[in-house]
Amino acid sequence: MVLRPIYAVLERELLRMVRQRTRLVAAMVRPLIWLLVIGGGFAAIAGGDYKSFLVPGVLGMTMLFGAMLAALGTVYDKESGVMRMMLVAPLPRAWMVIAKLIAAAVAAATQALLLLVLLALLGYVGRGAEWGLLGAAIAATSLACAGIGMLTASFSRTLENFAGIMNFVIFPVFFLSGSLYPVRELPPVLYWAATLNPYTYGVDLLKHALLRGGAGADFSVPFDLAVLAAATVASAAVASLRFSRESAYEPMIHVPAGRAR
Amino acid sequence: MNAPRAPGVTTSAAVRATGLVKRYGELAAVDGLDLEIAPGEFFGLLGPNGSGKTTTLHMLATLLRPSAGAASVAGFDIAASPVQVRASIGLVFQESALDRSLTVAQNLRFAGLLHDLAPRVIEARSRELLELFDLSERRDQPVGALSGGMRRALDIVRGVLHQPRCLLLDEPTIGLDLPNRRRIWRFIERLRARTGMTVLLTTHYLEEADGCDRVVFIRKGRLVESGAPRSLVAQLGRHILEVEGVDLDALVAALEPKLGPALREGDVAHFRYADEDLAFLAALQTQVGSRAQAWRVRRPNLNDVFLWVAAGKRVA
Repeated sequence: MVLRPIYAVLERELLRMVRQRTRLVAAMVRPLIWLLVIGGGFAAIAGGDYKSFLVPGVLGMTMLFGAMLAALGTVYDKESGVMRMMLVAPLPRAWMVIAKLIAAAVAAATQALLLLVLLALLGYVGRGAEWGLLGAAIAATSLACAGIGMLTASFSRTLENFAGIMNFVIFPVFFLSGSLYPVRELPPVLYWAATLNPYTYGVDLLKHALLRGGAGADFSVPFDLAVLAAATVASAAVASLRFSRESAYEPMIHVPAGRAR
Repeated sequence: MNAPRAPGVTTSAAVRATGLVKRYGELAAVDGLDLEIAPGEFFGLLGPNGSGKTTTLHMLATLLRPSAGAASVAGFDIAASPVQVRASIGLVFQESALDRSLTVAQNLRFAGLLHDLAPRVIEARSRELLELFDLSERRDQPVGALSGGMRRALDIVRGVLHQPRCLLLDEPTIGLDLPNRRRIWRFIERLRARTGMTVLLTTHYLEEADGCDRVVFIRKGRLVESGAPRSLVAQLGRHILEVEGVDLDALVAALEPKLGPALREGDVAHFRYADEDLAFLAALQTQVGSRAQAWRVRRPNLNDVFLWVAAGKRVA
């Protein structure tokens, strides 16, 4: 009953991803700029093997941006009217949120795998990687990022909020994680902020999988997985609740008389 | 298309609403509406903008929760079984519900999968319906490249792909030019002839509702008149006389004792005239002479019914 609708949403998401090539290219170029330019620059100050340390961070970044952009497509769906098609589908509304979440996660994981191939070709990933754990890390991180994305989407009514979301959600989530620096070396306030950020645990998991012996990781693998799973479930639940309330889509389908469109 | 009765089916009506209310704060958009639509009926919900037509449709389609009252569609209660209601209806919104970046076929595939149809079934039905709606050649074009009329037609195809028992159309011809409006009505007729599905539509182009089996007029969320278009029009009279004049007040005062109450619409006064024989009106025109600058006699239509109803006058 719910498999075909979920597949429908997933298929549309992947079609869109392939069609929007600039978005896909940006998803590959953005992390490489961070790795090669910022990583190169900071390596000069910090010394050591900063670029290797940065590899899990930029892989996570691809998933964070990929999942957020895909999940925020829900807001675009509300504005463009595609949401109407989903609202009249004969299944409980919560499944639409879950379908969007899965689709965003698959889109993010696909981008991460593409980047992984590029990183391997450039020689940044290879020996020392634990591939099984890496697969789990990509899956868990993509799902958690998609969860954060759906949660954000459930609170934003228009695409005009997009710049705000960029500044107040995506950037803080990225910077307040262990992507650029080890969490345990952050000043106390930032440290606590980072530990409250579910995305931190995704990057941590990627460090376990990609850096030899989990160098630079701050938490244990089971703890990382547990936090990511909990974050995914919690955000999906809240987003479903938000979307089940008619106020979430009423402004789109009902324009009270006298109000300008 | 007689689907087996599911448990909890309470009625044989395609749509039944009792005391339906939707309030937005102080404003009651729908205010105690009763409806009963028989299976296979072609039913028009008529009224001016803001009269509560769309709100009613959205409540019936389970997109909005009623503030009070109850309704069932295809035998399923909208509050208790929203998923079954959505499975038995097709809804075509006033605004497009299509993805402009996808092709015609991709949109239908998306809609079909959302309704749990097998890809094979979607393929076969799309071909048949696109043929019926003159869209076969557009299959692989992006929806953004279609004209407004074609997009509306595709929206209807999208709404009936899963063979709903009841099709809800919200202003299906709004924003279209006349040829396209006629095309859409032709498509709806073909569809009804082919499937026998119940069609509930809203429109404020009243002349377009002439083909309905039954219409109801709503105003401020309340039902004000209902019946078959032909009998509503017939009840109004055989003719409508429209009069314009410099001193319209005096003219109306002079004519009302002879013709009954007038309906003033701007600079025009409307009178109902029940007789087929126009000799009396011709004589009256001679009497009035040049005081009437315009004197038109014509057949009434649904617009007239609505004007009289909206003015709070009984039609019968």
